[in-house]
Amino acid sequence: MSLALLALAVLGVGVLWSIVAGARQRVALGGALAAAAVGGILATVAAGTVLCGASIGPAEIVWPLPLGAVSLGLDGLSAFFLLVIGLTTIAASIYSWGYFRDEPPTRSLIGYGVFYCLLVAALITVVAARDGVLFLMAWELMGVSSFFLVTFRDRDPEARRGAWMYLISTHIGGAVGIFPLFGILVIRGGGTSFAAMSAAAAGLPMPWAVGCFVMALIGFGTKAGFMPMHNWLPAAHPVAPSPVSALMSGVLLKMGIYGLLRSLGWLPPLPIGCALALMGVGIITGSMGILYAVGQKQLKRMLAYSSVENMGIVALGIGVALLGRSLDRPLIVQLGLAGALLHVLNHSLFKGLLFLSAGSVLHSTGTQEFDRLGGLAKKTPRNAALFLLGAMGICALPPLNGFVSEWLIYSALFHTAMGPFSLSAGSAVVGLLALAFIGGVALTGFSKVFAITFLGAPRDATIHAHRTSTPMLLGMLVPAVLCVIIGTCPWLVIPLLNAPMAALGFVSVDSSLADAFAPLVLISRGALILAGVVAALALLRKCAGTDQPITAGPTWGCGYSAPTARMQYTGSSFGWSILRSFRRILLPRRQAHLPAGCFPATGDLSTSVPDVMLTKGYAPAFGWSGRFAEACRPMERWRIHVLLMGIVVTLVVMFAVETVFRPFWPAERSSAGAAPVHSAVVDGGAPRAGGLP
Amino acid sequence: MNLLAMTIHLPVPGVAAVVTAQVLGVLLLPPLLMSVIAKTKAWFGGRDGPPWLQPYFDLLKLFRKGAVYSHTTTWVFRAGPIVSLAALLTATTMIPVLGPNSWLGFKGDLILVAYLFALGRMFTVLAAMDTGSAFEGMGSAREVTFATMSEPALFLCLAVLAISTGNLQLDDMLGTNLAGAWHSVGPAMLLVVGALFIILLTECSRIPVDDPLTHLELTMIHEVMVLDHSGPDFAYITYGAALKFTLLGSLLVHAAMPQVAWVGLPGALLWLAALMALALLVGIIESTMARLRLNRVSLLLAGATVLSGLAVLLVLFNKLA
Repeated sequence: MSLALLALAVLGVGVLWSIVAGARQRVALGGALAAAAVGGILATVAAGTVLCGASIGPAEIVWPLPLGAVSLGLDGLSAFFLLVIGLTTIAASIYSWGYFRDEPPTRSLIGYGVFYCLLVAALITVVAARDGVLFLMAWELMGVSSFFLVTFRDRDPEARRGAWMYLISTHIGGAVGIFPLFGILVIRGGGTSFAAMSAAAAGLPMPWAVGCFVMALIGFGTKAGFMPMHNWLPAAHPVAPSPVSALMSGVLLKMGIYGLLRSLGWLPPLPIGCALALMGVGIITGSMGILYAVGQKQLKRMLAYSSVENMGIVALGIGVALLGRSLDRPLIVQLGLAGALLHVLNHSLFKGLLFLSAGSVLHSTGTQEFDRLGGLAKKTPRNAALFLLGAMGICALPPLNGFVSEWLIYSALFHTAMGPFSLSAGSAVVGLLALAFIGGVALTGFSKVFAITFLGAPRDATIHAHRTSTPMLLGMLVPAVLCVIIGTCPWLVIPLLNAPMAALGFVSVDSSLADAFAPLVLISRGALILAGVVAALALLRKCAGTDQPITAGPTWGCGYSAPTARMQYTGSSFGWSILRSFRRILLPRRQAHLPAGCFPATGDLSTSVPDVMLTKGYAPAFGWSGRFAEACRPMERWRIHVLLMGIVVTLVVMFAVETVFRPFWPAERSSAGAAPVHSAVVDGGAPRAGGLP
Repeated sequence: MNLLAMTIHLPVPGVAAVVTAQVLGVLLLPPLLMSVIAKTKAWFGGRDGPPWLQPYFDLLKLFRKGAVYSHTTTWVFRAGPIVSLAALLTATTMIPVLGPNSWLGFKGDLILVAYLFALGRMFTVLAAMDTGSAFEGMGSAREVTFATMSEPALFLCLAVLAISTGNLQLDDMLGTNLAGAWHSVGPAMLLVVGALFIILLTECSRIPVDDPLTHLELTMIHEVMVLDHSGPDFAYITYGAALKFTLLGSLLVHAAMPQVAWVGLPGALLWLAALMALALLVGIIESTMARLRLNRVSLLLAGATVLSGLAVLLVLFNKLA
């Protein structure tokens, strides 16, 4: 715990340093990044001691505020997410130095150092907070500091648009989901501490518990990017500087998962419908996310949609764990939860790696439209290899880490399907179907992205690529090595999952369940065999055909004698066959002006896959609300007493609701001292919730 | 502690000899099955066909040849055939081929097998894309698209086998363990066998999904992806394709023949005969059917998914009753 505090202190120094040394840009940035890296290392160590040692209890620092308290502590769940934060921060900080050191000095660079350190500090505080108000403050700080990081290139209208979209959607999620949820729990619990909120949640009657679950799903799901609240991801990720994209996709999304798990840990065991709903959200998020990913033309936009997909897989894992909990099958709970948690860690590693690698492509070529790229594996071979590693990880291919977490979720689903309950078995089979489908589409999407960007011949002669700098490669090497280690030795990581699972308390962590994880040793044997066979075949290949020469020539053009690089298959055409199969859902657009007649003129063809949720859902909805607001404008000229009357009527209605339904009635009304606290929270909480969006 | 579990115990010399014979038998089998298909097609065409051992000669010849590499290609192109074949060989250790047991099966190995196939596919596709040829891009796009649709069907089939046997290890969910399921939910098992057959035809690029002997690059799927490979690389690819047929075929025949409890040499010969019969069936289909139009293939695969989905429903209802 003291290590985590030290990390926060170091990050604070980093913020101050970049403001004080602001005149000398490189010094300021270097100091801030060094502070962030040290903070990341400290956080990792702190998390590691809690996860391994387990003897360190939730040490707390209590510093009362007017509202709430600065109460920090680390339990297993916090420590696991702290590990995710620490690892990604280390990688992104090292990488940032290589990414920005040649940047022409601008005001934004100071801002980068300040807000980068602030973001990391806010992330650490979010997972370490043991107080509802402190959590919400850190949550807001996290949102605002990442907003300023996304607008790093604020001259770019796309960047401003993406950042606003992020800010608005994250606040709508907060206003609709998180603030009401916390408000209910704080008022019923009679205190802002997590202990009080947890006790209040455990005592909720079932309809209220389900309502809280829905609020948590909407509020935290917006941050995690569950469909249909995912739209900020593909808007904000491509325009943010790449280390920030890595941090957002690798860590920030996970805070949504953390919040969801935290509230699930508080709530009493939910009915089976909630588990099925969460699985449904996961299935839809996963399959639609990856289908949209295949339709994208920009590297980082594609990766953003793939993050949506992976959050869907995590939701599926949590959902099947909840299902196992309501079926009273500890094995399924363990497998599902372990799969979801490990996928959180894995996704932060390979998606961090992929975003950093995509950033290197952007840095060295100046574009992220991969249909203009090609052949980068020859110019930046190391970056290409790292991207391929990340792509293999995210497609869950053995022997990398993605396979291990998906194996756990698959196993949970198979065990549910083999169980005696028909409804749950049927939904588990649907989950299996979806996970297999997601795997197949992910393979399509990532084969396409890697092949079009890095393989073949360069498509655009005007693009010159320079080599990836050493700090950038070092930054990418951190997650890459961890991907390989987790993939080949999964039994090393599984013990780390015991503490968070124990903290959640869905099921008692029992050593007799260890045999559920026994096959992981055999997976690592499979990885070993695979590596051995690859080595043997490569050796055999070297020995073969020694008597005949190895020659080089042009690619076989199937009889066409003058092929050009422009004739290569593009990403759009590669993905079209699968998008066409799902055209009824995705509504892809295809505009063709084909050459016609005896003397054909030039033709053109363009395809795009706009997000249906955006074009058919949010855009009309915001249009309507805008028009409604416009229609309400004459009210501005109403007489003042009419408006005051409106306020009085609203208050009377609210009092009536409170008297009849008593939603904010605390669990025990007996203690007289509790009342002032409530009124303070109501006074402070209401304008905050209402004022933010 | 974990290293101890990883070592393979071979205490008795006799057992070692049997295992060696099994390994050799399985590794030598795939080209023979290709030969059966070629012979069948020749007979239907009224020809004598190539000699039985021709696929072996082809492999040996390819292996002794040099290679031509395109200027466009990188190390990915050279890694493609090696990784693809290695993935299939690793999968071989978990699938029962000529006996009721696999060598290194474990609980949940079916997922590893499916993803090893995916690993091989990804490297084949990347090697094809590395040449920068539009034709090979076309083939790759089709391959991944059809695989996307056959993979859910495969998992549904595996789910049926797992539900009806209560096992998650491939060799425990096939063969004699399925006998009870064939008795109680025979129709479901029939559906699974049908779906597995469609998956086999798709994954191994046979008619009606793909024509391995077509001459027009525009219409190919698998063959066009490997156009630029030559010499030993192409030997790996040819052998890998035959091995994939053997592995998926073994899954099929082990699911389709639940009653056989023979072990040892008679058992091995029986499974061999079953695999050859399967190859014969594929040969007959190739001789009597035309390939489907490309946009019809997805319907065929959707059909396989529906068949296996029906099988799941039947099995679940049976358990409920």
